[in-house]
Amino acid sequence: MFTELNSILNSTPDSFTQGEFILLSDRQSDASFLIHHFLSFYLRARCKVCFLGLVQSFSHYSAVSQRLGVSLTQAKEKGQLVFFEGLKESLSILIPQEGNTESQAMDFLRDPAVGLRSLYEFVVSSVSGAGRAPEGPEEWGPPVLLVDDLSVLLSLGVAAGAVLDFSHYCRAAVCSQLQGNVVMLVRCGGDEEEDEGDDEGSAWLLRGLTHQCSLALHVQGLPTGYCRDIHGQVEVCWRRRRADGQHTQTKLFQYKVHDKGASFFARGTSSAVL
Amino acid sequence: MLTSHCTMLSELLQGNDSGGFLVIQDSCRYSGRDLLRSFISSALDREEVVHVLCFESSEEELKDGLRAPGLQRLHFHNAYSDPLGWMDHSAFTVDKFSFEELTHLVKQSPHSRPATLVIDSLTWILRHVSPPAVCKTLQQLKKGGAVRAVAALLHADMHQRGTVGSVCHLATSVITVSPGIKGDEALAKITKRSKSGKVLQDEEIFSIKEDLTVTIQNKPSHLGHKQADPEEQQTDPTANLTFNLRLSDTEREAKEKLALPFMFSKEKKTALLHPNQGSGRILYEPDANDDFDQEDPDDDLDV
Amino acid sequence: MAAPMDGVGKHPAELPPVNSTSFQKKTRSRLISIPGTRPSVQNGQLLVSTGVTSLDYLLGGGLAVGTVLLIEEDRYDSYSRMILKYFLAEGVVCQHKLFVASAQDNPEDILQELPSPILDDVAIPKVVEQPRLPCEPQDRLDAMKIAWRYQNLPKSALASSSRFGHYYDVSKTMEPEIRQAAKCHRFYLPDHPTQSSNTHSPMLESYSALLKSLEEVIHREGFDVVAPMPKSRNILRVGLHSLGSALWGDDLSCHDNPRHRHALTTFLYGLRALLRSSLSVAVVTVPSHLIQDRALMGSITRLCDNAIALESFKGSERETNPLYKDYHGLLHVHQVPHLNSLANQLPDHKDLAFKLKRKQFSIEVCWKPCIFMILVVLLLLRLFFFFFFFFFFFYWSCFVRYFVLFSEPISHILSLFAILCCLFLFSSQTLSGKSHKSDASPTCAYFSLLLGGKNKSEVIDYCCCHVYYSVALSVQCSEKSLFL
Repeated sequence: MFTELNSILNSTPDSFTQGEFILLSDRQSDASFLIHHFLSFYLRARCKVCFLGLVQSFSHYSAVSQRLGVSLTQAKEKGQLVFFEGLKESLSILIPQEGNTESQAMDFLRDPAVGLRSLYEFVVSSVSGAGRAPEGPEEWGPPVLLVDDLSVLLSLGVAAGAVLDFSHYCRAAVCSQLQGNVVMLVRCGGDEEEDEGDDEGSAWLLRGLTHQCSLALHVQGLPTGYCRDIHGQVEVCWRRRRADGQHTQTKLFQYKVHDKGASFFARGTSSAVL
Repeated sequence: MLTSHCTMLSELLQGNDSGGFLVIQDSCRYSGRDLLRSFISSALDREEVVHVLCFESSEEELKDGLRAPGLQRLHFHNAYSDPLGWMDHSAFTVDKFSFEELTHLVKQSPHSRPATLVIDSLTWILRHVSPPAVCKTLQQLKKGGAVRAVAALLHADMHQRGTVGSVCHLATSVITVSPGIKGDEALAKITKRSKSGKVLQDEEIFSIKEDLTVTIQNKPSHLGHKQADPEEQQTDPTANLTFNLRLSDTEREAKEKLALPFMFSKEKKTALLHPNQGSGRILYEPDANDDFDQEDPDDDLDV
Repeated sequence: MAAPMDGVGKHPAELPPVNSTSFQKKTRSRLISIPGTRPSVQNGQLLVSTGVTSLDYLLGGGLAVGTVLLIEEDRYDSYSRMILKYFLAEGVVCQHKLFVASAQDNPEDILQELPSPILDDVAIPKVVEQPRLPCEPQDRLDAMKIAWRYQNLPKSALASSSRFGHYYDVSKTMEPEIRQAAKCHRFYLPDHPTQSSNTHSPMLESYSALLKSLEEVIHREGFDVVAPMPKSRNILRVGLHSLGSALWGDDLSCHDNPRHRHALTTFLYGLRALLRSSLSVAVVTVPSHLIQDRALMGSITRLCDNAIALESFKGSERETNPLYKDYHGLLHVHQVPHLNSLANQLPDHKDLAFKLKRKQFSIEVCWKPCIFMILVVLLLLRLFFFFFFFFFFFYWSCFVRYFVLFSEPISHILSLFAILCCLFLFSSQTLSGKSHKSDASPTCAYFSLLLGGKNKSEVIDYCCCHVYYSVALSVQCSEKSLFL
């Protein structure tokens, strides 16, 4: 959890806007540090979290969260966190073996044309048990769905339209019905001009998700090129009216990722420069 | 509720003409949904019946900010929570998007007056139904009589240009919104086709308040130029120079009096044409030798 | 012998031969120690060497176990193949298990071409077992006279094959007995008849067969992390040659709009899944210059943990460029790992070039010397004039009157000259296109650091301002000195 980002977004684990769809995106940079931020943020906020980790193994997320002061293993044991490990689940489908208990969630790997309905059903089943805690006395807050990241689904052959349908359903179920939050990461490569024409690529997906989301954080590399002391810039864009009546607006920050967090600063005010 | 200026945008939002089809085009840089909601709000204020076919926002989001008295005339058709029929409790799925279904839907309401149909958004439909089928349905709706007018949101950057073009071709008016220069302002490009075939185009800057009233700031193209012009006239490049570039009246007189040496003045002319008696003259009469052509190389030959 | 043993305690089987002095770091006992590996200083990841020491350094110490290194091949696949061979040779020397797959050449051929390790510091594998007997060195006549404290230590502490990273002689191939001592699994695609399946999976049969065979090896040989702990752990090095080429049945490189668009990415996803749950590490080469779709290449890169691209000067106009005359090609780092950590270890520079010497494949920072020279000279001149000025001011104030007149303008004129040079180089670099398009040049980095990442036109504006400022200052100085 990065406190500087919290103050930019005007939210704390004790009070945050419910029903938000937060879109994280990057281009020629890496926005996965933001996913870790939101994971630890919502775990601290005592939300019921469903995490679709498609890119890395559980140990990776667990190790990073440890540095941010949150234990994923404990959260899992307490029933606060439902962790979906895409790498593990996919293996049983990519290398079919007898006696494997196959989960239905990664069904799209057998035939990408069927879409992500089974994955959505997994999300709903893990999220809808939010209010009642099956074992133990603990009561969890609003449900949160985090996805890292959607562009992996494109790499696995799922059509971008199917991903948009999936995200729409997740938003309808989690944000609107259950008043929870959704955080999704999508990664683009290459130049903006190159992607302009294509109809099924990650840039198109990003545009579609931007129309759906209520808050977008877009991470980019520096336009002037690589720099060791400033890792890139984040564009924060509120797409819905905020509580204080402010309209759609955009703010730009530069950031640097440290070992145990990240610092955000206004343009040109990096400590390396001043 | 709109400002008193009678601009094209306010006219369109008032929506006086029946049989109209309004398309609000937006991109991911600026959402046109607020404008669509102010359209709904002004339609409700005019005591119209409004049916909303909503794919992209929930009922709460849509109704947020609408005034209570009109709400019972607003019919919300929920295509948001289950548009593809993945769950069993779907109210409207995207494959039901046809003229018959929509007419049936609109006629279910107790109000007898023809209603306004609002679609949020066409993008969702165009992603799952083929564009020709969508266009056909829209045309039937326009002509069918069950609905008075249709207004729809379209995310232009999600489709190929041809698809956007064919939908806009059906529309009687198109509003393209893009972000403005200042924070809460936006720019609207309006194209309106009247029944007589006349096409009106305009650009306006507007902002939407929290109660969904649209304030039209000014017309950027005209006012912007008008403001810029007088300033350009005021600045005089010769104003703050360290040397003098201007002439006073006396100076100008003196300058005009001066005869320049190579001017062909009247005096000179008369002096040349009517020379005084007694001065020398040159008399010249050309003879045969003068007929010498320099160009002719054979001139010296006696032929 | 007792003292060093205490440090590790419970797992003598896992004790590496290197840990044989009493001054050793206390290691946590749950860390597995395997010959040829070491934990990362940053995040404690278990690392193995790629066989190229400078590449290890570039990748943050080495390749983390469980990750994939993607090498985008150079045009003629000579240097990328070389790195793959280094990677496998390092595995042979460290007695790791190997898995080599190719569709082009028989893996056996690749193995025969492995470069020979430089033997003065590498023991032949069978020697390694001997020094475990502590009494043996005493019998030798030519035993060195060393302190009794160290006398009983195994000799191999100095000449151990489990050292991290070795040097190789490219001109010689590895001796067959060393090579045969290594256990190697081979996957040669023509030997694996692929049966066409009727599933709709986006993966090709050739890739499925490869993945299945790799999974079998991992499972059978106990490389699984979840498997019950065998007596000694070992690393499986996986080398996959030229994935995505037409010989794998893939049409990525043949068409602009390939039919099996997602075959390779799906395979890489499966490969990542396999590696993450096992003690293995993979190097994959891909002929990226044949793949037209950059977006696809981007998603391939993102599915690997490390990605480097080799750009050979052979056949390009850069071969004759005097700037690059010391190098054989450029090396671009496209992806750095950030496994188990929030921040990824970014390299200091992105301007890297490689050269292949007989005994070393070295990667160096390919910096443009002139720019730094100018900056350094500028700084020195400033300092020089500054001290000079003060020294004379106190002692010969009369001299100063004349000196100031000349020195300050001179330094400013020099700085102006230097800045103009920088500006020229900077703009010529940005104009010259591809190589320094977005990331790369040190000047770019310098200016982005200076300005906190504004765009290029602003940088140029800034430089112009600086020039004007210098001129104005020098004029002011000369005016002042006239009044002194």
